[in-house]
Amino acid sequence: MKDSVPAKSTGHIKTRDGLTIGLMMFPAVLMLLVCSVYPFLWVFRYICYDYNGMTAYFTGARNFVRLFEDTAFWASVGHTFEYAALKLVFILPLALVMAVLMQQKIMGSGIFRVIYFMPTIISSAIAALVFSFIFAAYNGVLNAVLRATGIIKQNINWLGDPSFAMWAVLILAIWGGFGNYMIYFMSGLSSVPGDVYESAMIDGSSGLHTFIHITLPMLSPMLKTILMLAITTAFKDYESIMVLTTGGPNNRTMVMFLYIYRLLFGSNQNNPSIGYACVLSIVAAVIVGIVTGIYLLLARKLDDVM
Amino acid sequence: MKLASKRTLAKVTAVAMAAGMLAACGGTGSSGSTAGEGATNEGASGEAAASGDAVVVEVWSNNRHDETYMTQMIEEFNASHTDIQIEYTIMTDDWANSIQMAFQANTAPDVITIAASDGMTLSDYVNGGMFESLSSYIAEDEEFQTVTEAYDHMYEGLNSIGDDIYWVANGVRSGTRIEYNPDLLSAAGYDSVPTTLSELVEAGKAVTEAGGGSTYGFGFTSSGPFGRWLEGVGTMSGCTYRGYDYTTGTYDFSSWKPLIEQAQQIFKDQSQLPGSETQGVDNSRALFAQGAFAIWGNASQEAGVFTDQFPCSFEWGVAELPTLNGEVTGALECTPNFGFTMLTNSDCKDQAWEVIKYFSSEDFMKGYLEGGYTLPLSSYMSGKIDPSKTGRLADFALKDYEDVYPTPPAVTVDGDDYGITIWNAILGNATADECIEDLNTRYNDALERALQNGSTQRVIIEDYDPAHPSAGTITYSAE
Repeated sequence: MKDSVPAKSTGHIKTRDGLTIGLMMFPAVLMLLVCSVYPFLWVFRYICYDYNGMTAYFTGARNFVRLFEDTAFWASVGHTFEYAALKLVFILPLALVMAVLMQQKIMGSGIFRVIYFMPTIISSAIAALVFSFIFAAYNGVLNAVLRATGIIKQNINWLGDPSFAMWAVLILAIWGGFGNYMIYFMSGLSSVPGDVYESAMIDGSSGLHTFIHITLPMLSPMLKTILMLAITTAFKDYESIMVLTTGGPNNRTMVMFLYIYRLLFGSNQNNPSIGYACVLSIVAAVIVGIVTGIYLLLARKLDDVM
Repeated sequence: MKLASKRTLAKVTAVAMAAGMLAACGGTGSSGSTAGEGATNEGASGEAAASGDAVVVEVWSNNRHDETYMTQMIEEFNASHTDIQIEYTIMTDDWANSIQMAFQANTAPDVITIAASDGMTLSDYVNGGMFESLSSYIAEDEEFQTVTEAYDHMYEGLNSIGDDIYWVANGVRSGTRIEYNPDLLSAAGYDSVPTTLSELVEAGKAVTEAGGGSTYGFGFTSSGPFGRWLEGVGTMSGCTYRGYDYTTGTYDFSSWKPLIEQAQQIFKDQSQLPGSETQGVDNSRALFAQGAFAIWGNASQEAGVFTDQFPCSFEWGVAELPTLNGEVTGALECTPNFGFTMLTNSDCKDQAWEVIKYFSSEDFMKGYLEGGYTLPLSSYMSGKIDPSKTGRLADFALKDYEDVYPTPPAVTVDGDDYGITIWNAILGNATADECIEDLNTRYNDALERALQNGSTQRVIIEDYDPAHPSAGTITYSAE
C-alpha cells in the first residue's frame, strides 16, 4: 500500500512529462517530416516519369537506361571529384595554417580573423558575380595585377579557357570557404591545453616539431569532423560555379549538382526533365554517401593505428 | 508548488510552440501575396476590393522595361473603373517556373504576360490545364479582332492550337540585327557592314588589327551567344530552324556546317574582345557602348539599351544580318510579344478578359508602341502610330523576310541544347561534323523518346517554304 502511492504518482508524472516532451518535440518532428522526409520521398515519386512540371508521362525504366548512356552526366561526376579533391587539398591546409597563425597573440589578428571569415557570410552568388569582374580577360583586376608584376605578358582568359576555368572556380571556392574552416580549426586549437605546449617548449621542441607532434594529434578528433564537412560541402558545391562559368567553357566546370539543376529547370531551348533529374539526384546522393562512408571507414582505421 | 509552476510553464511553452508551428504551416497563401521583386499585392483574386464591390484582377508581368507606362495606364484604369481593379506585379526572374509553382500552389494570378521568347511551350501548358482558351471571347469582340488582327496572327503551337487561341500578341520583337560602331569599322577601311558572313569575319579581323590590342572586331556574351545573331544568319541562309526539318519531321543540323566553320574563323583570328564570351550580356553591352569592339548583334530591345541603359559614346548603326552567300533564302525569326493569357484557375474570367481587352485596346497600344516598348505586329496599329516617336526602334522595323516559325516538337535532350553545342563548336571545342553528328543523334533520340511516351507530336509541313515558314499547312503525327 505504502509502495503503491508513489508508483501511481510516478506514472502520472511520467504521463504528464511525456505529453510535455511530445508537445515540445512536435514542431521539430513536423519540420523534419515536411522539409526533409517529404521532399526525399517526392524525389522517388517521379523516377519512372518524364515530368515537365505540369504533366507526368510514365516512361518505365527509361530514365535508368538514360542514366547509363548520359556521358555528359558522368563527365560532370568526374569534374565533381576533381573539383572536390583540389578544393580539399588547398583549403584545409590553408585554413589550418591560418588558424595557427591567428591563434598567436599578435597585433591585429582580430581584424584579420574578421577579414578572413567575411567571405563566409557573403552570398556565394554575389561573390561569384564580383569574381567574374576580377577574372575578366579584357579589363579584369587579376590580369592587370599579374601583368603589372610581370608574372604574365598576355592576359589570361580565366573563365573562357578550359585550361584555367577550373582553377578560377577553385580560387573562388577557396576564398569563400577557408575562413569558415579556419574558425573550426581555431576552436579545436583552443581546446589544446597550454601546458602541453609549455612542456614542449621546455624540452626544446621546435615550432614545426610541436605542430606535427602535438598540435596535429590533439586536433585529430576535430579534424575528422572538419574533413567530413569539407568533403560533403565540396561535393555539393554548384551555386557559385553556376554564376561564374555556368559550367563552361565546353562543360569544363560542369559539376553534377549543376547538371541536375539544369535538368530540373530546363532552358528556353530544352524542356525541364524533372523525372530524370530525380534519378540523378538519387545517384548523386549515393555517390556523396559512398565517399563519406569510405572516409569514415578510413578515419576509423586511422584511429586504430594511432 | 515551484515544480508545478515549472511544469505548467513548460506545458504552456510547448503548446504555444506547437500551435505556432501549426499556424505557420497551415496558413493558406493568399493569391494576393507579394510576389517576386515587384509591387505589393494586397487583395485576393476575385475578392471584393477594399474600395467596394470591385473585382480585383491580378496580373503578373515579366517585363520591367515598360514599368512606367504600365503603372500609369493601370492607375488610369483603376481610377475610371468601379467594378474592376487591376493588381499588377512584375517578376522578372525564373518566369516560367514561378508561374508553374504558383499555379500548383493555387496562388497564380488571373492573367500573365506572355511572349514567344519566354520559352513556354504552349502545348505543355495547355495539356497541363493551365491556360484558358480565349477563342470564345475573341469571337464576340469585333473591336479586339480589328485592333489585334487576332485571326491573322494565329501561330500554331505558339499562341494557338487548332482553333483555340490562348494569347494574342500585341507587338513583335524584330529578328536580330548587327549593331555596329561606324568609327571602328571606318578606321579599318569599311564604310558599311558586309553582306556575307565571311566578309564580316574579315571586317572583324581588320578592326582588331587596326585596334592594336585596344579595340576588337566582335563582342559576344555568355548568355545565349549563338542566338544573339549567328543563328539568324543561319536561318536567313536557309539552315533548318532549331535544327528541325519540317518536311521530314526529324532533326537535321547538317545545313549548319558552313556557318559553324565560318564563325570558327572569328576565334581562330582572335577577332573577338578577349573573354567577352564569358561575360554577362550587360557587361558586353557596356563595353560596346564604350567603343571596345565594333560588331554586336541583337534584336530590337537594343534600341532602348543603347539609348537609355548604356548610351553609346558614338553614333551607333544598325544593319541587316549578313548571310552565307549574300542572298536571303530563308526567313529571319521575329518573335511575337506583349501578349496576355488567362489562367484556368481564375475565378473572375469575364473581368480578366476585360483587362486583357484594355491592354490590347487601340488607345493603350498607341501609347505603348509610340513609347518604343515594342514594334507593332498588326497592320492596323502600324497605321495608327507615328513612327517618328519610336526613337531608334524605327531602325528595327520588320523586313519582308522576317516571319514567325512554327514551334518544333518539344523535346528534352541529354546534355547541352543545340545553341550551346553549336557555340562550343564555334569556339573550337569540336569540329562542325562532330557537332552536327552529336546534335542529330541526341535530338532525334530525344524526339523518339518523347513520341513514345506521348509528351509530344511530330510536326510535319509538306509544303514548307523556308522563306515563308508560317505559310505552310501543319499536320501532327504521333508516330
